[in-house]
Amino acid sequence: MKSETGFDTTLYDRFPIRDERPPGELDALKRAWEAPSGIARLTAVNNNYVGFWYIATAFLFFLLAGILALAMRVQLALPLQGFLPQETYNQFFTMHGTVMMFLFAVPMMEALGVLLLPQMLAARDLPFPRLSAYAFWAYFVGGLCFFASIFFGLAPDGGWFMYPPYTSTTFSPGINADFWLLGIGFIEISAIAGAIEIIVGVLRTRAPGMTLARMPIFAWGMLVFAGMIVIAFPAVILCTLFLELERAFNWPFFDPTRGGDPLLWQHLFWFFGHPEVYIIFLPAAALVSTMIPALARARLVGHDLIILAFLATAFISFGVWAHHMFTTGMPALAVGFFSAASMAVSVPAGIQVFSWIATFASGRARPNTPTLFVLGGLFTFVLGGLTGVMVAMVPFDWQVHDTHFIVAHLHYVLIGGAVFPMFAVFYYWAGMTSRRALSERAGAWSFWLIFAGMQITFLPMHLTGLMGMPRRVYTYLPGREWEATNYISTAGAMLFGLGVLVFLLELARSFRFTIKDDAGNIYGGATLEWLPTDLYSSRSIPVVRSRYPLWDDPKLAEDVREGRYFLPGTATGQRETLITSTLNAEPEYVQIMPGPSPWPFLSAVFTAGFFVIATIQAYAVAFTSGILAILCLLRWLWETDRRVAPAEVDVGAGIMLPTYVTGPRTHGWWAMAILLTVIGMMFLMAVFSFAYLYGVHPQYWQPGPDLAWLAPILAFHALAAGLALYGRHLLARKGTTHWSPVAVNLYAMAALAIAFAIDLFSWRNHGLRGEASGQAAVIHAFLSLQGALTLIALLMGLFLAARNARALVTRPRNVTMDLIVMFYCYTAAQGTFAALLARLVPGPA
Amino acid sequence: MMHGWPYLLGGLLVWAVHFFGLYVAASLFLTSPATRLVTAILTFICLAAAAALLWRGWTAEAGQGETFAGWQHRLAAYGAAIALVAIVWQGLPALLV
Repeated sequence: MKSETGFDTTLYDRFPIRDERPPGELDALKRAWEAPSGIARLTAVNNNYVGFWYIATAFLFFLLAGILALAMRVQLALPLQGFLPQETYNQFFTMHGTVMMFLFAVPMMEALGVLLLPQMLAARDLPFPRLSAYAFWAYFVGGLCFFASIFFGLAPDGGWFMYPPYTSTTFSPGINADFWLLGIGFIEISAIAGAIEIIVGVLRTRAPGMTLARMPIFAWGMLVFAGMIVIAFPAVILCTLFLELERAFNWPFFDPTRGGDPLLWQHLFWFFGHPEVYIIFLPAAALVSTMIPALARARLVGHDLIILAFLATAFISFGVWAHHMFTTGMPALAVGFFSAASMAVSVPAGIQVFSWIATFASGRARPNTPTLFVLGGLFTFVLGGLTGVMVAMVPFDWQVHDTHFIVAHLHYVLIGGAVFPMFAVFYYWAGMTSRRALSERAGAWSFWLIFAGMQITFLPMHLTGLMGMPRRVYTYLPGREWEATNYISTAGAMLFGLGVLVFLLELARSFRFTIKDDAGNIYGGATLEWLPTDLYSSRSIPVVRSRYPLWDDPKLAEDVREGRYFLPGTATGQRETLITSTLNAEPEYVQIMPGPSPWPFLSAVFTAGFFVIATIQAYAVAFTSGILAILCLLRWLWETDRRVAPAEVDVGAGIMLPTYVTGPRTHGWWAMAILLTVIGMMFLMAVFSFAYLYGVHPQYWQPGPDLAWLAPILAFHALAAGLALYGRHLLARKGTTHWSPVAVNLYAMAALAIAFAIDLFSWRNHGLRGEASGQAAVIHAFLSLQGALTLIALLMGLFLAARNARALVTRPRNVTMDLIVMFYCYTAAQGTFAALLARLVPGPA
Repeated sequence: MMHGWPYLLGGLLVWAVHFFGLYVAASLFLTSPATRLVTAILTFICLAAAAALLWRGWTAEAGQGETFAGWQHRLAAYGAAIALVAIVWQGLPALLV
């Protein structure tokens, strides 16, 4: 095989090693990965703990949102029912949708990734364990506070997609809408942090030999899922930011009387919102594709086609957002294009479904609980897919838009595509996290109750919708022939709830969390998470030679447990893992991993505090919380990026790897590149907003300031980027003083700040005020984004100077400095582009 | 380092260029002959690109067997093949609406 990195892959033939392992090696490994106990357990960052807490919390939100659904079904069981008042009902349906989408589905998938991926890839942990811990705690604290708003009558009530103008201050004057807009801010941060972790983890911490072709299908699904979050979530971050700015400062992004447009919200929201469905479905599909070979006792049919289906789904999911807007009066041809794209989605989904059916057909499946849930989910998802093709047809969509038919359709897709697989996952992987397996008998009861409840609830709901009942109404009049189907739906929902209750009782009876003495590989899975594991994952990191390593090499588990592969102990006395190349997974270097720390926990608590407290408009306290979050973050980062001795270590069989590298090979570089992609997508969405508002309301647009302002702005941006790169260059030169490179970096920081100040001044001096028009609002959004980046650049520059003062900026290259230079260059590029665009369209006076 | 990815995703990228191009055309020129003309041109260009990727993947994969390079070519060819079908499908509304 041609080498990707220069690593000699024939060295893999040295494994498994036959030498005896030195005494004390395993004990040293255990000591390095020991978890804190007692209250200090909160500072644990190991994926086994964080992943489990994450899953438990996501499941808690599933239960809470499910209870809201049951209450809504009671309200709708009979006409003119008085169980929930109208305002409460509005809050319930908004919270049900929001919690299910933002606090259950996406976090649950990320949580499963955090728990399963390191073991499945035979990594010691994900590459940024503290980031995982931060993402979890921000979500946990913020999520519970957000949910608690419902107990005070302050929960959002504008539906989970929060369309303006309903959610503008005119029609939603209270703080309920702000709870949604700011409340999900921390969830977005948490989701993006998780996505960065997963992408870098999948691409850079796979076991040696685990090429992309041999990578577990779940890792493929998680890679695509995380990539989609990086592309999709910036759109929702931006539109929530816009609506909050409109509500707080009267910047009219969505007010058509001043050159804004409410449809801009719909475009931005659904550019996120539709991919969100696949963001939920793809990891679940990947889990199904992972379980089916074990359940059917046959290799996955069409493995490569399933990978193709994941990728194709991800691409096309970004091309169908406007099918949620067929009734808004878009151009006929545009509607036709979106309709065609929406139908095309069924092709990659169909590939997966046929592959699963073929695998079951080619194997010898047993009717155990995960199989039941997988098949039940398959049946339900296919029905949801069929109604999806129906609503992709525009004339049909016009008839059923905003009716209960849509409610039924989306529940078929999401429950079939994600909830049934989730229960299958709980059963299948319980053996990895629990001392006792879950009961098959209780599982069968649970499945049939949930399956029957699901069909009884949502099948008649199609008819309710076809008979014209709109969604989101808290009651209806008798005599409209909606009574029978509504009553049946409510009965079905209770049955569904009963099934979940049976599952909960079984969980309480049998599930006992453990990391070491688990029940084991009950269903005969072939992937590496079933190796003997501890907090350090597997004892040694195997060379992967097939897609089904445990099936193809029956001795693998023993060899791994006896330390006969890579990194059988700790080479530096610290926590560490192997970083491998993206395509072929060739070993590149040993990453020193951070251990337990209170700072990610504290930073997360203060981050969530900032968003939640800002909602209740206690701004001083909120900003204090925000500053504390930043300080904790800096303190946490202070401990990272340290060189260790020795510079090279033996990772097994005499193979030497470095312990510190810089540049594009590093996992930190990848994380920064992904973060900049997120920021870039946010900016791209802002550019789209700019073009959209100019396109639909050009009459509100005014000429910009004199073009002469561009000269200093562009010059200072160019200077900033040039100085940043020059500072990095100086670090490698021997003849420079200790301070020279960092001083140049500080000058670059100052140049960025000056460029931003000139940009801001030129517009304010020109008389532009954010509340004047849609144009002014978007230009202020550009300035706000640039101001935020500049502020972060300032913090980075000072942070680097402080590290330099403590001699932590090592020569000839330093990871922290590399990442800061990347950020500066990006900030300068974005500032240049925004300054040019805002002045050249529509042009000067 | 990333040279493998653009090839691996080539067909899907061409598909994405095609559908985003059609959305931009329909937004700028609405339901007009100009949009149909842009659709026709873009469709033919993207079909040619996808066909070229399919040809490259198909021919390069032959004889590679179960190697990693063979897998890369195979996946790239699959992506190009699905792009060919999707591009034709996506362009059809210009003839029908």
